[in-house]
Amino acid sequence: MKKLLFTIAISGILAITTAFTSPTVSKLVSKAGHINFFSHTAIEDISADNFKVVSTLNTATGEVVYSVPMQSFEFEKALMQKHYNSKKFLDTKTYPKAKFKGQITNLDAVNFEVDGTYNVTIAGEMNLHGVTKVITETATITVLGNKITVETKMNLTLADYKVAFKGGKPSTNIAKTIEVTSKSEYTKEG
Amino acid sequence: MKKRILKWGLILLVSGIIIGAAIIYFMFNQPHRDIQAATVDYKLEASALVNEYLTNATSANDKYLEAEGESKIIIVSGTIASISEDLNKQKVVLLKSKNAKAGVSCTFTSETNATTKNLKVGDKVSIKGVIRSGAGYDEDLELYEDVILEKCNSIKN
Repeated sequence: MKKLLFTIAISGILAITTAFTSPTVSKLVSKAGHINFFSHTAIEDISADNFKVVSTLNTATGEVVYSVPMQSFEFEKALMQKHYNSKKFLDTKTYPKAKFKGQITNLDAVNFEVDGTYNVTIAGEMNLHGVTKVITETATITVLGNKITVETKMNLTLADYKVAFKGGKPSTNIAKTIEVTSKSEYTKEG
Repeated sequence: MKKRILKWGLILLVSGIIIGAAIIYFMFNQPHRDIQAATVDYKLEASALVNEYLTNATSANDKYLEAEGESKIIIVSGTIASISEDLNKQKVVLLKSKNAKAGVSCTFTSETNATTKNLKVGDKVSIKGVIRSGAGYDEDLELYEDVILEKCNSIKN
């Protein structure tokens, strides 16, 4: 009986300690992120980069959040950048930010305290162009010293997010599915 | 007579094609906006810009963002809270006063990065750049996001 009470007391203390300490300590913030998207068709390749991605990684719960300022995507050609921002495509004035909120589903596979590369699956909601979709993607987490890097690669089908173009040049020059890669760096505290 | 019409017709047709092709070529290859050379749309304190966003993000977006991404060019003044570097190796100067919830994050370019060498935390500066997105509290990130300015350079007061 004493032993049981003791166990309960210990787990109670542990639970309270975790509850109070983990949310502040384990949520890492990255303001140094990079997202690239790449579209390939027989006619041309289009690539754009965004270095203004803000994201958080909660090493205790496995929650990841990305916030992307859509007007920060830079294209090689000014005209392409204008088209991308316009009402016909991503309408970035109306939808200035895209967001992904997800969960690492196999958090057990990662040890944030041990240097190494870990493959994970992230499931969550992508909000782009005012459309929210549930997606599941793979990612790689690299732990090196006090630095954690999260890299993802996914394919987005533009029609899923109501970025549609029927006739004309864009329908032949932009791929229906674009490849999106991201990299975010976090620094562990302490 | 017939030959002459044919000749002139051909000349007109060819020159039409050349002019048309040239217009398409220049449209397609038009340069990016030179932010530092462009006229300033707004000049204000960093805290005032942040407050506009925190008060009403929708109306602030309507005022500062443009449909084709060629958003307003702004000169903001404020106190430097931090100087860092992003993954693109560009300098990022954060203008934020001590007790403010959010600030204005100004990203420089490979041409202007050098001007940040003379800047240090605590300095009061004016920075010119183009706005990309506004400030606000994000409940998923659980933090306040800063206003983002890019293509920045520091301006002499």
